[in-house]
Amino acid sequence: MVFPIAKKEFLTNLLSARFVIGFVLCLVLIPFSILINIDEYRERMSLHMIDADAAEKAVKEVRVYSALRPTVVLPPEPLSIFSKGISAQVGNKVGVRLGEKPLLAEGRAATRDNPFLASFFSVDFVDIAAIIFSLLAFLFSYDAFTREKEDGTLRLQMANSLGRSQLLAGKVLGVLATLLPVLFFCFLLGAVIILASGNLAFTAHEWGRLALLAGVSLLYLAVFVFIGLLVSARTKTPVTGLVLCLFLWVFFVFIIPHLSSYLAESFVPVQSRENLDRVLDDLDQATLRKIAEGEKALPAPDWFMSWYMNGGDDGRRELYGCTASYFEWERRRAMMAEPLRIDNADQKWGAQSAYLDSLSRQSRAADRLAMLSPAGIFRIIASAVCGTDRRAHVSALADIRRYRETFLRYLQEKDIFDKFTYFTPAPPSSFKNADRLVEARTGGRFKTLREYDAWAEKQTDWGVRWEVLRKVKIPGDQPEDFPFLDISDMPRSAKRPVSLTEGLQASLLQVGLLAVLGVFLFYLGYIAFIRFDVR
Amino acid sequence: MLRTILKREILHNLYSLRFALSLALVLGVFIAGSSSFVRKSTTIRATYRETQAQAREAMRKDAAANATQLAVNRRTFALSPRDNAFIVDAKEKYLPNAVVFSAWNVFSFENRSGSVNPFLTKYDELNWAFIVGLILSFVAFLFTFDAVSGEKEARTLALALSNQVSRAALLMGKYLSAVISVLTILVLGLTVSLLDLLLSGGAEWSATLAAETAGFLLAAALLAATLAAFGLLASVAARNSNISLLLALSFWLLFVVVIPNSSAFIAKNLYPIDKVEAVQSRVNKAFADLDKAAPPGSWMMNMSFPFTPQHELRANLQRKRLEAEKSIRDAYYRAMFRQFERTRLLTAVSPVAAFEFLAEAVGGAGYPRFRKVWDDLHVYQGQSLEFFKAFDARDPKSPHWYNPREDVSTTRLPVSFETVPQFTEKPMSFSERARPAVVYLIMAVLLTCLVYLLSFFLFVRYDVR
Repeated sequence: MVFPIAKKEFLTNLLSARFVIGFVLCLVLIPFSILINIDEYRERMSLHMIDADAAEKAVKEVRVYSALRPTVVLPPEPLSIFSKGISAQVGNKVGVRLGEKPLLAEGRAATRDNPFLASFFSVDFVDIAAIIFSLLAFLFSYDAFTREKEDGTLRLQMANSLGRSQLLAGKVLGVLATLLPVLFFCFLLGAVIILASGNLAFTAHEWGRLALLAGVSLLYLAVFVFIGLLVSARTKTPVTGLVLCLFLWVFFVFIIPHLSSYLAESFVPVQSRENLDRVLDDLDQATLRKIAEGEKALPAPDWFMSWYMNGGDDGRRELYGCTASYFEWERRRAMMAEPLRIDNADQKWGAQSAYLDSLSRQSRAADRLAMLSPAGIFRIIASAVCGTDRRAHVSALADIRRYRETFLRYLQEKDIFDKFTYFTPAPPSSFKNADRLVEARTGGRFKTLREYDAWAEKQTDWGVRWEVLRKVKIPGDQPEDFPFLDISDMPRSAKRPVSLTEGLQASLLQVGLLAVLGVFLFYLGYIAFIRFDVR
Repeated sequence: MLRTILKREILHNLYSLRFALSLALVLGVFIAGSSSFVRKSTTIRATYRETQAQAREAMRKDAAANATQLAVNRRTFALSPRDNAFIVDAKEKYLPNAVVFSAWNVFSFENRSGSVNPFLTKYDELNWAFIVGLILSFVAFLFTFDAVSGEKEARTLALALSNQVSRAALLMGKYLSAVISVLTILVLGLTVSLLDLLLSGGAEWSATLAAETAGFLLAAALLAATLAAFGLLASVAARNSNISLLLALSFWLLFVVVIPNSSAFIAKNLYPIDKVEAVQSRVNKAFADLDKAAPPGSWMMNMSFPFTPQHELRANLQRKRLEAEKSIRDAYYRAMFRQFERTRLLTAVSPVAAFEFLAEAVGGAGYPRFRKVWDDLHVYQGQSLEFFKAFDARDPKSPHWYNPREDVSTTRLPVSFETVPQFTEKPMSFSERARPAVVYLIMAVLLTCLVYLLSFFLFVRYDVR
């Protein structure tokens, strides 16, 4: 008896105008969201290529180890086309440095060329699906009982030997049978657009995760159908049911997501970034002071002169054409300073991780509040399945911090801070003392540094002082005299492969919640319908 | 006749379920918004005061060192949290909210790190503009979608028209009553929110606040009028209320979801601008050219002997580099402004987006506010430079080789911090707020008239049986 009813429901729904308009709505909105997000993904991908090339070039074209600081460039997640999660807000580049552990990624793709565009929001497939599926579910269920009651057909049906549970099961099946093709059509449309837009290649893995997303969407759809049936069983006229459903729709789908983030931001404050920067700056200053003290304890070189110097942040010092004792001074300096800076990074991490935790805490609070709405739960699951949620990003950052440790071990195993190759590619056998260097550079005009200094002091024009030193070029006083480092043994960071169900496992609680909610609502609807006055 | 219809319609609306639900929802959200605003704004203001004090301290330190350091060191002006942010926030936390400048140039703008939690998806704050833009726009449709088609289904439309009543009056009565009902809800919500804010100290009553509230109400009334017209259009375009509901919802989704969310896409594809990498390479090329053309020894610098003759060459080179970079970057910024403004203009075809821009103008917030600070800072930078040059001219020891980057070729005398010109942000004047709003105002009014006329046209031909 259930199936004839389901069939009848299905056919009436299929022929109704609301089905046509709902279908057209899907037909317009789904391609709209997919196309916009493919465009965004492509842009992120092309920026990723640029950044990855630049990062690769930056590690390949170094001549000293103090300049070797890899940058990890996170690839965009293909499934971000379906659910962006937080991927548009976080950056894609993380520099690996000795003096600081990476905190957050830099370089947000969306606003790189024009930061004002950050004030424009954008929706993805899951946002649209959350809006459309819930709306359709309500549209086909808000008057499930009340309309038939008004028409008088409900009384007629109940006059037959038909159980109320059978009728309810028939209704549920009928509505789901109407919506199921729409849902799968939406996913199919998305898949077709992905396939049609050439250079996007999804792996079997990604298709699998997309199928999981479709399954979760079905659950989401069912929850709204049950809410609609419950409303219909508890109201007297279709108009009342409609108004109630529309308000529930706006409340669940539009208001709660904004409300949850806003309330989380007001009531679960994050630590002040300015404060963190100040704490980090203080620690950096203290370390710099320690290094300066250490420098004072070092024996002074005979000549503080570097023919070519390339300095930079994070301990980068590239020196050419110095005296042997200056090189030795630099070597001892690096031996003293670099471990201090690595310690400093560990010390700074306390404050940094507290800040990072406060960001996560706020976001978790927002998630919990959003779980008041099935749409919020659906979005959380979707971003987890698509690998674009907070958890995925935080664990990617943790991976990079682990990679930093690997990289540090790589440097330490080479005892690199004790070696000249940390700051100059010149072999120690070529080092000269100050007198020999002055003699060679001036072509024998001055035999010692003292002679040169005595002469130089009398020169008012500073340019002349340098001109005489330029007379003879000494091999090895320019970077171009040396090849790039061979860094083929440097460990590389690899993105951890994500298993098919990892996102689902991470959001198992939410999936369970959605399922329990569905069952509970169905039960409520059942009870309400049992008590429904069919006259 | 119109009065009778109006009275009947308004009473009908007031006693309806949708009115009660709308009122409950709007009041709830208004209260949630205002009470969390009070909580949030205290912490934000405290952080801002700290930042300000630090910036002042850094400036004082530079002034005590010497006037040149005061002139060449870069400073960041951070935009303050607005007192009227509960009216409209205009997505200020996502927009650039700090400007980097020195006495020599206004360099760049940025969104300060820490203004946004990157782990939260983007969202709108629960301020008045958001509540009106999202909820009240929905309510406006709710009161109108079945105004005609619903009565036809209930078979009262033919009855009403069998009396001595013109179709024009009937439609106008329905239209006005919907707008009035929506505004009733809004005024009640605003009153509750204002009372909450005033009593809890989140806001202080002033003439400005009164004017802003009035301006906001006008903008909201215009939005309600526009959307009610669209609702009527949906109602007269269909024979039954189910279809007019779907039509109305489609309009709403188009205005609230589709158009505002495609702005970034429109900006990038319709009004493309250069990539930041291209601009950077242009700057690098200009620098390389200047370096090549500079006389040898221009890069010589000796911090221990500030007034070494070579430093004049260096100062010349640095000035030329600054000018070259400034002209390239400023052109890029102008392209950004243009791209953003054009996109906004196109986005304003959605009445909800146009309303947000109007509300932004009423509150003196968002993009227009940033542009004012940006322009004002350029004026201030000119004053600072003049101040510095005058100070430098009074120092007989200084060789007056203006170097915009380094403290090696101009006065080494400290300057009294109190005499240094300071920058403070001035609130936007009425005309400054009104100017950007005019175009959106005209667009919204025209759209309203057009849509109302269209629905009138359709209603005249409507089969009421």
